[in-house]
Order: sequence, then C-alpha cells, then structure tokens
Amino acid sequence: MADQTLPIPGPTEIPRIGTAGFSEWLHSWIVTVDHKKLGILYVAYSLFFLLVGGVEAMCIRIQLMFPHNHFVSPQVYDELFTMHGTTMVFLVGMPILFGFANYVVPLMVGARDMAFPRLNALSFWLTAFGGILLYFSFVGGFGLYGMGSAPDVGWFAYAPLTAKAFTPGHNTDYWALALIVAGFGTLGTAINLVATIISMRCRGMTLFRMPLFVWLMLAVSGLTLVTITPLTAAQVMLLIDRYLGGHFFDTQAGGSALIWIHFFWIFGHPEVYVLVLPAFGIASEIIPVFSRKAIFGYSTMVGATIAIFFISLAVWAHHMFTVGLTSVSIAFFVLATMVIAVPTGIKIFNWLATMWGGRLRFDTPMLFCVAFVFQFVIAGLTGVILAVAPWDWELHNSYFVIAHFHYVLVGAIVFNIFAAIYYWFPKVTGRMMSEKLGKWHFWVFFAGFHLTFDPMHVVGLLGMPRSIYTYPANRGWNTLNMVISIGAFVQAIGVLIFVWNLIQSLRHGKEAGNDPWDAWTLEWATPSPPPPYNFAVDPVVRSRRPLWDIKHPDDPDWKYEE
Amino acid sequence: MEETAHKGAEHGNGQSIHLPSPTGWPIMLAFGFTMLLAGLVTTFMISIFGFVFIVAGCVGWFHDVLPHEQHEEVPILEQPVVITTSRAVVERVKLTGEHRPHAAGGTSAVMAGIQGGIAGGIAMAIPAMLYGLITHHSVWYAINLLGGAGVGDWAHVTAAAIATFHWQWLLIACVIHGIMCLLVGLLFVAMLPMLPRYPVVLCGLVAPILWSGIIHSFLGFVNPELSAHISWPWFVVSQIAFGVVAGLIISRQTHIHTSKHLPLAARMGFVIPGMTHHDSDAGTPHGEKETH
Repeated sequence: MADQTLPIPGPTEIPRIGTAGFSEWLHSWIVTVDHKKLGILYVAYSLFFLLVGGVEAMCIRIQLMFPHNHFVSPQVYDELFTMHGTTMVFLVGMPILFGFANYVVPLMVGARDMAFPRLNALSFWLTAFGGILLYFSFVGGFGLYGMGSAPDVGWFAYAPLTAKAFTPGHNTDYWALALIVAGFGTLGTAINLVATIISMRCRGMTLFRMPLFVWLMLAVSGLTLVTITPLTAAQVMLLIDRYLGGHFFDTQAGGSALIWIHFFWIFGHPEVYVLVLPAFGIASEIIPVFSRKAIFGYSTMVGATIAIFFISLAVWAHHMFTVGLTSVSIAFFVLATMVIAVPTGIKIFNWLATMWGGRLRFDTPMLFCVAFVFQFVIAGLTGVILAVAPWDWELHNSYFVIAHFHYVLVGAIVFNIFAAIYYWFPKVTGRMMSEKLGKWHFWVFFAGFHLTFDPMHVVGLLGMPRSIYTYPANRGWNTLNMVISIGAFVQAIGVLIFVWNLIQSLRHGKEAGNDPWDAWTLEWATPSPPPPYNFAVDPVVRSRRPLWDIKHPDDPDWKYEE
Repeated sequence: MEETAHKGAEHGNGQSIHLPSPTGWPIMLAFGFTMLLAGLVTTFMISIFGFVFIVAGCVGWFHDVLPHEQHEEVPILEQPVVITTSRAVVERVKLTGEHRPHAAGGTSAVMAGIQGGIAGGIAMAIPAMLYGLITHHSVWYAINLLGGAGVGDWAHVTAAAIATFHWQWLLIACVIHGIMCLLVGLLFVAMLPMLPRYPVVLCGLVAPILWSGIIHSFLGFVNPELSAHISWPWFVVSQIAFGVVAGLIISRQTHIHTSKHLPLAARMGFVIPGMTHHDSDAGTPHGEKETH
C-alpha cells in the first residue's frame, strides 16, 4: 500500500449561500474573475438553455407526431426549429464545453487561474448577453405574425432567404447580432485557453505530459479562432446587406448567395469538431480511470487530434454537393471527408484498446462514455455514407441528415457532457451525484435516444425532408414519426431525472473527498471544491499521471516515459 | 516528497496568495457592447446607452490594470489532502510471443515497394492498352477512361471521343496511375510478409478480384459514365497483371528482419511506455491494471 500525503491546503467545507447573505453572494458571482466560478456559470447557463432548446425540440416533435397536425402555426414552427438549432449549437454546446475547460484546464495544468482572468469574465458575459439578446427576440418586437421577431431562417440562415426582400422585420438581425456578441465571447475564451495551455503549465508538464483533455482543448481553441472569424465576417456582411444596401449575397445585384453557404460551412463543419473534440477529451479522461489503465496510444491520440484539426478545415463543401460544384471539387471533398474518418477511427480503437483487458467499473460517467463510443461509430458510418456525393444527392436535406448529426451532437457530445458532469461534479461541489438516479438517467436517456434517432434514419431514407411543417398521411411516415416523438418524450424524462439528481445531490449528496474516482490528473490533488488559488504550492509533475506516481511510488509512470 | 515541488508562491508572511481582484468592469463592457448592437433592432437610444457603458467599462478596466494590476490577498487555509489509493497492487498483463502469433518476422524495404509499384504499373498498362487496341482500335481508350474520371466535363461522352488523344486526360491518367501504383506497391511491402502462405497468389490473384468487385459495386453510383465504359473482365486482367508482377518483385527482395514480439505501436516508432514486460525500464502502464 503506498500512501503519500500531498500538503495542499484549502477549505473542504462546502460554502453555504446563507452565510454572507444573498446579495453578497450574488455580487461575488457577478464580479468574479475566478476561472472555477466562471466555469460553473458557463455550465449553469448552458444547462438552462439545454432545457429551453429541449422544450423547443418537444414542440417540434409534437407538431410532427401526426400528419396534418396544427399544434403550432407554420410561422412559429419555423422559429422553433431555427431557435432549437441555434440554441443547441451556440448557447449549449460551445459554452458548456468551454465551461468544463474553464474549470478544469487550469487545474489540470497546475495553474492558479487562466492567463487572462478579466478577459475570461468578459468572454463569459458576452456569451451570456448574446444568448439573452437572441431570446429577447421573442418579445422584442411585434414581428410579422404577432409572435415576436425570433429568427426563422434556419440555424444556417441561407441567403437569399435572409435578404430584406424575403425576410423583412428583425428576425434575421437578431440572429446575426446575438451570434456576433456571443462569437466575440467565444473568441476571447479560445485566446485565453491557448495562452493558458501554452504559458501557464506547471513545472515538468511538457506538452507530451498534458492530459488529453488539455490537448483537445488546445486544438479546439485553435479551431475556434480559425472558424468563428469567417462566421462573424459573414454576419457583418449580412448586416451590411440588410442595413446599408450592400449586395454581398444578392445574386441579382452582382453578389452571390453561394458565398454565404461557403462562409457558413467554412465555420459550420469545423464547428462540429469544435463540439466533438472536447467530448473526445472527456472520454479520454474518463475511460482510462474507469478501466484502471493508462490511455492506450497517447502519442497517436495527440497525432490524431492534430490531424483532425487540419483535415476538418478542408471538408466544408461536403454540405454543398447539391449546389452545383465541379466534379474535381466534389472528388476533393469526398476524399477529404473520408480521410477524416482515419484519425477519428484511431481514437475509437485507442479507447477500445484502453478498455481491453482493463478492470472496468461501470459507474455512470463510464456508462455514458461507453455508449458514446458505440454511438459515435454509427454516427461516423452514416457520415461516410453522406460523404459519398451521389448518396448525398439523394439524402441531402432529408431526415437521414438530421438523424446523422443528432447522432453526433446527442449520441456523442451530449452523452459525454453528461459523463463529464457526473465525473467532475464531486470536484466542483464536494458532493457525489446519486449513482442510482444516474443509472436511471442513463438508461432512460439511452432508450429515448435510440427510440428517437434510429427511426429517423429510416424516415429520411423514405424521403421525409427536413424542416417541413407537416406531412400528408399517405407517405408511410406516420408510425415512424409517432415513435420518434415518443422517443423524444422518453429523452425528456431522462433529462428531468438528471435535473432532479443534480438538485438532490447538491443538497444531500454524500461527501466526495478530494479524489473519489481514484484518478490520476492534477485536479484531483486539490480539495473538493478547490480553494480560489487552486494550489497553495506549485505542483511539479514528472509523467502524464502525476497522481499515479504519488500513489505508486515503487512503480511510477515517469520511469517508463523518460 | 520528491515529486512535488514546494515552490514558494506565497506572499506576505507565507499565509496568503495574491490573485486578480474581482471586478465588475468586464460585465459592464459586455453589457455595453450588447446594447450597442441591440440598438440596431430597437432604437438608437439603446446604442447610445450601450456606448456609454462601453466607455465606462473601458475606463474602469484601465484603472484596474494601470499602472499596476489590482490583486487581492487570499488567505491559505491549512487542510492536508491525502492522495492515496485502495488499489495498491499493480497487475501486469503478461505479453508473450503468443500475443502476436501471426506477426511478420521481417519486412521488405520501402524501395522494393516503389520498384514493385512501378513494374506493376507498367504490367497493368499492357492489357489495358491491348483492350483499347482490340475493341476500339486505339491505345488511348483505357488512358482516357482513367483520365476522364478525374475531369469535370465528362458527360455523355462518346466511345469515339474517348478513343482519341487528349493531352489533359493523358496527364491526369498518368498522375492517378502513378500515385495509385506507388501506394499499392508500398501496401504490398507491408502486407506480403504478414500473409501466411502463397503471398503472391493472395496479393496477385485474390486481392485484385476482391478489389475489382468492390469497385464494381460502387462505381455505378459514384461515376456512372465511367462505369458504363469499363469492360470488367479486362479490368480484372489488368489488376491481376499488377498484382502478380508487383508481388513477385517485392517478395524477391531482401527481407529486413524485425522483432515479431514488438507490438505494432513500438514497431511504428511510437514511444509508449510498458509495451514489453521483460525489460523493467521499458515496462508499460498500459499493461498495468490495479486490483483491490
């Protein structure tokens, strides 16, 4: 038995709101520059919008539950699917993953805070106000139909639909302005993460000793800087078109609607990797701990990450096979899209190899990660199918595409977001989440997920187009749509179990201690929750698993890594 | 402890640490920026309001960091953290030769793959051009078929047009053919030593037939024009010509012996600790697992 004590001071008592009074407590959160508090704010903000976006999804599914249904009007339906997509990508996916990074990256690299704490606060508040501005659109104007001016042009806002002539009012303006504000926040966080990871690592933490989550966030931050900028530029161009009579996207006046599609997908496809790479990072932290083995093929995981970074910048036009590209362009983007499956496949094999022969513990975080691995394989396979241009010509804008990207966004990303919350909740709050409720959450959500998105592939193959308000009863889609909608309700029940678990565990969860999972990265060397300064003394590491070295002084990793 | 440095970062009497002080200016600046843009969809007064907030936020922020960044002293609370594990016993996965019974004991040089690829490419071209000569009286037919697959304006093309000389198609065909032959040659270098028996038969006959079948199954979808003009029996013959010639040349080259006991990652040159258990300095945490 190898016990060692690391004299890291800090409070272990969980702070109670009542001690300093509500207003003082509230003030402390508003003026905070502490990366941990800002990380919590990001996650709380995103979870709120996850519920909002979820409610919108439920409205969409109720509307599509039966043929010729009129649960909402066509105009409101357009607003719902636009806001659902925009919310889930910009107000849930990115902020929550950057929130996790905000919280754990400085801890993982042994730093006391992010490189630019004030910029960190500015970035969060820009993101938050961007979301508020977007939702203010529901009440911020009469709009055309008495339903406010919520955006209704799809989350991709294709030109020329966004032109003043086709979308009068302020719906599109709200979309562009809110995302510009949130986009600046995202850029600030990305700059901060790059600076923190490059320059704030503790002694001994070379690049190749960084936890994989940190590596992934470095890649994601770089990707964010490259991809958010064209989107912001395009949105500014759109506003110039709409407010100043510009013609960037007006084909009849010498512009090109196609430019918008290029700009959007130059952002949009790497954005998928901006969302999924942190999910990969989460899996790469959780799977080894719950397999009781070091990650298999650390170097190849890093290499695959870098490969994905570059290749993901060269695949955007696979969203555009139906707009009339040349054969050479199509061939290039088909091949590039297929090539990106290689580094992704390497990651899958490495996670499997990590689990292989390990002593697996199927606690809730691991359950979500295992489901992620298998669901992501399916998502990848349908992605390769869609990468074949002739297939895409048949399936483009069908529910098959919706099923594919929900397999990525929910089956991979949301599953790993839940895994991360169950994994790091004890560190953040000092309390464990209920395993019993966690397993209920997993199995109900898992069943709902497959009930929803598996038949969605079939209904897409049967020709159901995306974004339609309703459908005739004689297309053979009725039963499948009913099943899909029931699945959505089952997922919603799973999310409610999660919310209940979160609230209950915050109040009554059992004490976690500093290292409840017997893990190996530096964040578990601090008290739970960590003190404001993280580490009273700067840590020094000699391997990729510093806590392993401490726990196994006779058999430390650094003997093998040097 | 040796692994943990106690670098002094404390200030004052060592009982506190200074951190950036909390500030409200970032939220004010963010609010101002949002208001500035929100004025576009509401009223210009909102933009003016936002501008005032931006100026106030910037001025306040500058005061926070100039001439010196403001900090607050956070007292250190002594509370030792115990880092221990209940899984102290480390179990190693024993790696024996039986883990990779089919691993290659040797491989061929990369140059062999290049030579095999070039020779196979020439051999492959002979039946392809023969086919063009016999069926369409033109050696350019097969070349144009390959080159035509890589250009954009190949729709409703006639057999007569394919049979005539086009320098662009020749250029494209040469590039595609050259790259593919070299890559397959290199693939043969990696694969041949791993096949248990009759590697040339497997790579020269079985693999080309399987490969042709795969291409036949999807080419109709991917490039129907090209698929309609291909003679599949001749296609298989040219693939076999490549496989046999490249396979023979590569298999007759001198083998480079490698240790079959080394795992794939190690043979690829990755430094992954503990891939072997017999050398304690090269042992692996990958092979380690804990028991309660």
